[in-house]
Amino acid sequence: MLHTPMPSRRWPALVVWGAAVALMLALDGKVGLTPLAMLLVLASTLASLWLPTLLALTASFIGVMAFGWAFVPPRYEFGAHVQEHVLLLATTLALAWITAGLMARLRAQAEAAGRHAFQAEQLRAFSEDLRAVDDVEEMAGALVQALQGMAAAPVQLLLLKDLLPATNEAEAVYLVGQPDADQWTGLWLCLRRAVPFGPGTGRHEEVGAWYLPLRGRQGGRGAALIPLDAEPDLSSRAHAQALCDQLGAALERSVSASATQRARDEAEAQALRNTLLAAISHDYRTPLATIMSAASSLESQDARLDTAQRARLARSIVDETAALARMTDNTLQLARLDARGVVLKRDWESAEELVGAVLRRLRQRSPQAPIKARLAPELPLLRCDAQLLTQLLENLVDNALKYSEGSAVEILARRQDEQLLIAVRDRGPGVTPAQRERIFEVFQRGEQGHATRPDAALRRGAGVGLAACRAIARAHGGQMRYRARSHGGAAFELLLPIEETPA
Amino acid sequence: MIRVLLVEDDKVLRTTLAESLRVEGYEVLPAASLADGLALLAHSEIDLVLLDLGLPDGEGEELLHKLRRQKGTPLLVISAREQDGLKVRLLDAGADDYLVKPFSIVELLARMRVALRHRGQLVSAAITRYEQDGLLVDLAAHRVSLAGEEVHLTPTEFKLLARLLRSAGQVVTHRSLLADVWGPEYCEHTHYLRLYMGQLRGKLEADPAEPTRLLTEPGVGYRFA
Repeated sequence: MLHTPMPSRRWPALVVWGAAVALMLALDGKVGLTPLAMLLVLASTLASLWLPTLLALTASFIGVMAFGWAFVPPRYEFGAHVQEHVLLLATTLALAWITAGLMARLRAQAEAAGRHAFQAEQLRAFSEDLRAVDDVEEMAGALVQALQGMAAAPVQLLLLKDLLPATNEAEAVYLVGQPDADQWTGLWLCLRRAVPFGPGTGRHEEVGAWYLPLRGRQGGRGAALIPLDAEPDLSSRAHAQALCDQLGAALERSVSASATQRARDEAEAQALRNTLLAAISHDYRTPLATIMSAASSLESQDARLDTAQRARLARSIVDETAALARMTDNTLQLARLDARGVVLKRDWESAEELVGAVLRRLRQRSPQAPIKARLAPELPLLRCDAQLLTQLLENLVDNALKYSEGSAVEILARRQDEQLLIAVRDRGPGVTPAQRERIFEVFQRGEQGHATRPDAALRRGAGVGLAACRAIARAHGGQMRYRARSHGGAAFELLLPIEETPA
Repeated sequence: MIRVLLVEDDKVLRTTLAESLRVEGYEVLPAASLADGLALLAHSEIDLVLLDLGLPDGEGEELLHKLRRQKGTPLLVISAREQDGLKVRLLDAGADDYLVKPFSIVELLARMRVALRHRGQLVSAAITRYEQDGLLVDLAAHRVSLAGEEVHLTPTEFKLLARLLRSAGQVVTHRSLLADVWGPEYCEHTHYLRLYMGQLRGKLEADPAEPTRLLTEPGVGYRFA
């Protein structure tokens, strides 16, 4: 609420005057005219505490005139004798007026001081409110609350959500209230020009409302419409403007913060794209080279190849094509899952089935692969995207078979507290400590040359595959980790949160 | 001779597939667009359709809907990598099976054979007895035995097995399994399916972790091999 400038009570002035008249009537004849005149001055002074200046002066004037008429002889007429007491009456009136005037000034100053203190407190509280919230709606609510005290009707607000649009689009702004067509145009004009309109502003004085811009350092961020009653308190406008500008500055801060975030996101996305492109251009060449040499050999040397050689070449084309397809899937998933707001196609899945599907596909490709599954009984269902999870497991299994050097690979699944652990383990050489940190990163070609990369796991496409595994795990709220096994070998472990299955 | 309509806009893939199919003894009618495909479908007797999605003049899906309104000719969808939910939608709309590019010709031929085996199944007498690799299912008598030993199935397990057997070799979506076995209002209760499939595997598979009969098609459904 805004400070009320005028005390609303006026009856004490009437009481004062009544008491003075009664006292004067009682003392009439017992004391001289001068003490009675002094009583009059006292009454006038006291009454001016409760009366507006003009009324106080008028009351004093009437009081002095009535005194002259009723108490100064000859009584009840303005005869020639009055002139003898002109000095007394004039002095009384002058005294009454001066004291009333002084009282009025004093009161005005006290009121101004009170109002300033209130406004300063309101500004401070408002700026604290703004700091506490970062939501535009809450900010708008705080401003409306602060401005409502000086408004004759509900305050309306127009706030830019982001950048200033070319036309007055409703989607670009957050709106408080329901402005009519004129008010809508007025708010937008005020926002675009970043200048106030309305009474006392020198622009559109006739509108009966203040249109105040919410100014940031780089122009308007919004506009406020404050409907006014017939006699607006013009001095409040500066305060209202200060409140509006605070919100303007706060909005500008939040927009620039989100712009910074956007720029950072874009830079990250760009970096990932570059990394992926580097990985693709390197990793895709190996299978492509195999396919090219095998196919061209079949094409040009056909007659000189025996049946077994032809079969081997054809086989390698099929295998390498499958590898390329898997790499493509991984790369696509990696790019897709990195995007914000990606929605997974989740359903209730059984770990046993997912592992079974992975093993089946593997057996179709290589029936003799040394791999077996060991699943704990009564595993809980998982809430996950089946396609992604099988892709993850296929990557791990492929990787393990490729680098296990013929040792047995096993898939393990068991409950671990509130998580489900699925591990793919082998007895191969494992990953050297130096490379463990980076095993789930996308292979970055620029950082290490081929000569210094003796580890086959990092040389051949594993980068994209394991990075995709990690992205899939994270998209499910889980994690991927590497563990060196105690008697040699690698264990890639997936941990997924367990959710309660519906009845 | 079995006549196959091959709708595929990529010229190289179309020619390669057509050649491989002719080697296998099929008669192939190639079509490069949706309009061609629809015209061939209207004017010739077709035994099986291979349909690519995303054709230059429209979605292959349209051909599937037109075909299903008229007859039960087997139709296999050949699609690029999973466009969200499309595969399941097409299967629910009446496609017999799907293959994701790239696929091997062996796989394609196997799927075609299964689809042709089911041709006209709606009119001919339904299978009542199924026997394979020691598994014997007598649908009429509600009896199941494995390697000569009687297997006891609960009524729901039996209904689930019977539904899969009815489409043996073909993928059956979660939705149609739930609707046919539990009822249409259970279409979203995938977790029922997981539990009952787990129980069935426990009774019918030598190693439930590596099933050979009750196969999972992740994100799509199940297939009885």
